[in-house]
Amino acid sequence: MNYECGCDPKLKIHCDNVSKTFIQKGNQEVPVIRNVSLDVMENEFLVVCGPGQCGKSTLLKIIAGLEIPDTGFVTLDGQPITGPGPDRGMVFQSYMLFAWKTVRDNVELGLKLRNVPANERHEIAQHYIDMVGLQGFENHYPHQLSGGMKQRVGIARAYANAPTVMLLDEPFGQLDAQTRMFMQKETARIWEQEKRTVIFVTNNIDEALFLADRIVLMEGKLPGTVKTEYVVDLPRPRDHISEALLKLRKEITDNTELVL
Amino acid sequence: MSNNIANETIDHSRNKEAWTLKRVLTNTYFLNVVSLVLFFLLWDYVAKERIFHDSLARPLDVLNQIITLVSIKYAGSTLWGHIWASTQRVLIGFFIAAVIAVPLGLFMALNSYVNAIVKPLFDLFKPMPPIAWVTIAVLWFGIGETSKVFIIVIGSFVPCLLNAYNGVRLVEPELYDVIRVLGGSRRDQIFHVCFPASFPAVFAGLQISLSVAWTCVLAAELTNSRAGLGFLIKRGMDTHKPTLVLGGMLLIAAAAWLTSQGVGILEKKLCPWKRSIENL
Ligand SMILES: Nc1ncnc2c1ncn2[C@@H]1O[C@H](COP(=O)(O)OP(=O)(O)OP(=O)(O)O)[C@@H](O)[C@H]1O
Ligand SMILES: [Mg+2]
Repeated sequence: MNYECGCDPKLKIHCDNVSKTFIQKGNQEVPVIRNVSLDVMENEFLVVCGPGQCGKSTLLKIIAGLEIPDTGFVTLDGQPITGPGPDRGMVFQSYMLFAWKTVRDNVELGLKLRNVPANERHEIAQHYIDMVGLQGFENHYPHQLSGGMKQRVGIARAYANAPTVMLLDEPFGQLDAQTRMFMQKETARIWEQEKRTVIFVTNNIDEALFLADRIVLMEGKLPGTVKTEYVVDLPRPRDHISEALLKLRKEITDNTELVL
Repeated sequence: MSNNIANETIDHSRNKEAWTLKRVLTNTYFLNVVSLVLFFLLWDYVAKERIFHDSLARPLDVLNQIITLVSIKYAGSTLWGHIWASTQRVLIGFFIAAVIAVPLGLFMALNSYVNAIVKPLFDLFKPMPPIAWVTIAVLWFGIGETSKVFIIVIGSFVPCLLNAYNGVRLVEPELYDVIRVLGGSRRDQIFHVCFPASFPAVFAGLQISLSVAWTCVLAAELTNSRAGLGFLIKRGMDTHKPTLVLGGMLLIAAAAWLTSQGVGILEKKLCPWKRSIENL
C-alpha cells in the first residue's frame, strides 16, 4: 500500500457487523446491508465498489452518522460514532449544492456554521476553490455551472470543513465519460496533495482501479454484504489502460459474477 | 488547470446571422406584434359591424374615453384617484394577508402541532370562494373601506399560505443532511435550507394572491363603492357606456400588471439565484 511512512498504519474507521433494515411503505421490511465489517486505515483511499441498489449509500450514511445501524457499530479513531460531525466530510451522489448560495458561499458554509471569522473563512474557501480549479467562478450560482464543476464545488465544500475522513458517494455518477475520467485524475491529484482518509463509493470498476489503495466489493442484491477485497498496489499517477491495472481488472471480474 | 475548465463552461454567446425572410417570420417579437395587431383589427371589425349591437365599443373610442377621463373629474375623482382607490385597497389587503399567511404557512410546515391546529380550520375555509364573503363583510363592516380590504385579505390569504406550506414541504430532504454533515444545527437547517429553498414557492404564491386580490377588489367595488376602477365599470354599465366598461377593464389589467411587475422585481432582488423563467 502507498503509505507515506514505513510505520504501522493507524486504524481510522472500524465498522463492526453493521446491519440496517428499512421499513418501507406498507410496513415492508427491506434489509439493506447485513453484517458489514470494514477497517479503514488512516490516509487510505478505500473504494467501495458494487452495482446499483446494494446499500452503498446506506453504508456511507451510517459512517457519516446520518443513519443509525440496527446492529453493530462504527468507530472513528476508536470512538463510537453517534451522529454526523465535521470530522467527516461528505460529497453527495447528486451534488446537493445550495442553489441560493454562490460557489464561495457554498464552500464557506461549514466554516460559517462553526463561526469561523469571515476573513479566515474567505482565505480557506479560496484555497479549496483554487484546489478544485474553480478560480474565477467564486460568484457564480450553481445553475450557471456544468455538472463536473458542480461536483468540484461539492468536493471543495467538504474539504474546506477540514474533515479527517472524506466520504464520496458516487460523485461522478452523473457525468459523461470524458469529464468523469478527468475528475478521477483530479481526485487522485487532490488526494495526494492533501492526504485524507477517503471512502469512495462507485459502481464502476475502472474508476475503482484508478483511484483505490484497496477495493471492497459489495454483493449485488439486498441485503448488501462485503464480498471480497483487493489491494491495488500500483504506482500513481495511474493509467486507465496500463497492463498491470488491466491484469488486476481481469482477476477481479473473473472472480465475480457481477457485471461492474 | 483553468484552461481545462474552460470547455466545461456553458457558452452563452449568440451567433449573429443575416436577416433572412424566414428569420423575420419566425422572430418571437414579430409574432407577438402580429398577434396583437390581428386581435385589435378583429375587435375593431366586430365592433364596427355591430355584431354585439352597441355593447362593444371600438378600440379607438375606448382609448378616447380613457384620455377624456384623465382630463375631467368623474364622480368627484380624477382617473388617477380611481386607479389609486383600487390599488390602495389591493395593496393593503394583499400586504396584511401576506404578512400573516406566509409565516403561518412556513410554521405549519415546520411544526406538526401548529399544523394540527391550523390545518382543519384552513381546510374548512379554503374551498369557500372569497367573493362569497362580500355580503357578510358589508353586514359586519358596513360599506366603507374595511369591508373591501377584508374581502381582499380573505382572498389573498389562501394562495399565500398554501404555497409557503408546500414550498417547505417540497424541499429536498438530503439538503438537510448536508447541513448536518457540515456540523449545523436544526436552526441552521431552517435558516440555510428551509427558508431560502421555499422562497420561489412563496413568491409564486404572492403572485397568485395578487391576482386574486384584484378579482376581489373588483367584486367589492361592483357591489358598492363611490370610487375605484370597479366603480367606473359599474357606472359604465348603469349608464350604458361600453367605452367606460371596456376602459375600466383595460385599466384594471394595466394596474394589476404593474403591481405584479413590482412583486417580480422584489423577487429578483431577494432571489438572485433564481433562473429567470419566461412569463406566459
Ligand atoms: N431512508 C430510506 N428509507 C427506506 N428505504 C431506503 C432508505 N434509504 C435507502 N433505502 C432502500 O435501500 C436500498 C439500497 O439503497 P442505497 O441508496 O443504499 O443503495 P445504493 O447502492 O447506494 O444504490 P445506488 O447505486 O442506486 O446509489 C434501496 O432499495 C432503497 O429503496
Ligand atoms: Mg447510492
